[in-house]
Amino acid sequence: MTIWKLRNNNPLRKSYVTNNIKHNEFDALIRITVEMSKYLYPYIREILKSKEDIEDNSIIWNDFNKRFIELIKERFNIDSMRVKKLLNQAENDEIIIRSLLILSFCISNQGYQKLKNFLYDF
Amino acid sequence: MMQNKLSFHQSSASLEIIGLPDYSNNENKDQISIISQWKLTIVDKPLIEGKIEHLGPIMDAFYIYSNLLIKNEIPIYESKLIDIKADNLHIHNIVLKSSKPNVKPLVLKIGNSLLSDTINCFDQLIESPKVRIKKTDIPTDIPKKLRFGLNKKVKFFNFFIPPFIAICSLILFSYSFIYFYSPFENIEKKDLINPE
Repeated sequence: MTIWKLRNNNPLRKSYVTNNIKHNEFDALIRITVEMSKYLYPYIREILKSKEDIEDNSIIWNDFNKRFIELIKERFNIDSMRVKKLLNQAENDEIIIRSLLILSFCISNQGYQKLKNFLYDF
Repeated sequence: MMQNKLSFHQSSASLEIIGLPDYSNNENKDQISIISQWKLTIVDKPLIEGKIEHLGPIMDAFYIYSNLLIKNEIPIYESKLIDIKADNLHIHNIVLKSSKPNVKPLVLKIGNSLLSDTINCFDQLIESPKVRIKKTDIPTDIPKKLRFGLNKKVKFFNFFIPPFIAICSLILFSYSFIYFYSPFENIEKKDLINPE
């Protein structure tokens, strides 16, 4: 329930609430993301790989991209310019690949610290 | 003397470290502190191997390059030993230059999946308690200034915006009353014109 509420701190969401996210809540979200990345690494890797040789193996990438867009349309505020950028297929490739790369670089035991550094660097 | 061998695997990449423990430091016999050789095997790519003096710079190159790649900066790393450049967002061009004369540089093209496998092998090596290696200088501590800067900014706005909006709306609301007819003013004016 707490995590569900925390999601609403994302200003891109339809159900955005201006609650101030606390430092320990932010840390907890990073830890959950890192643990999920560890678990999902084989899938993340396959998605990245399918984009490398798109002519031979485009099914995985296309499925992922389609689902990504579906979820964005369902849950995010599509009037926002930033969300429109995520939905634009010409522009979103780069954003998706960078995000997947960040997740795939953070699956070690020190992944939490790495992801935190990446996020603060943005 | 038998050398110790340790391997770190991640999907299509594996890193092998061969060396000896530092007995003068009373280390366990399965520890590696004196690395004599290392091998990086990437599926479908030529074997990369070298001595300890090459491992540190190669690891640094991979870490710096991957940081540039995700920070949306131009991903180019060049040094005496290794060059890494991005062909595009998916393919990375690695040139390994040999320290021996008359040896052609080794050119490899790897995708994002192999790049992340390699980085994860290096991460495992750095985190392994069984290998002692000079840690790379990638900052792990977030500067305090940056850590609290964002929070302060948000708090500052939250503190000042509500009263600011309240004052603005009050001014706008009261401004609309200027256009209303005021009978008292008219009576006074008439009195001034006809003082009888």
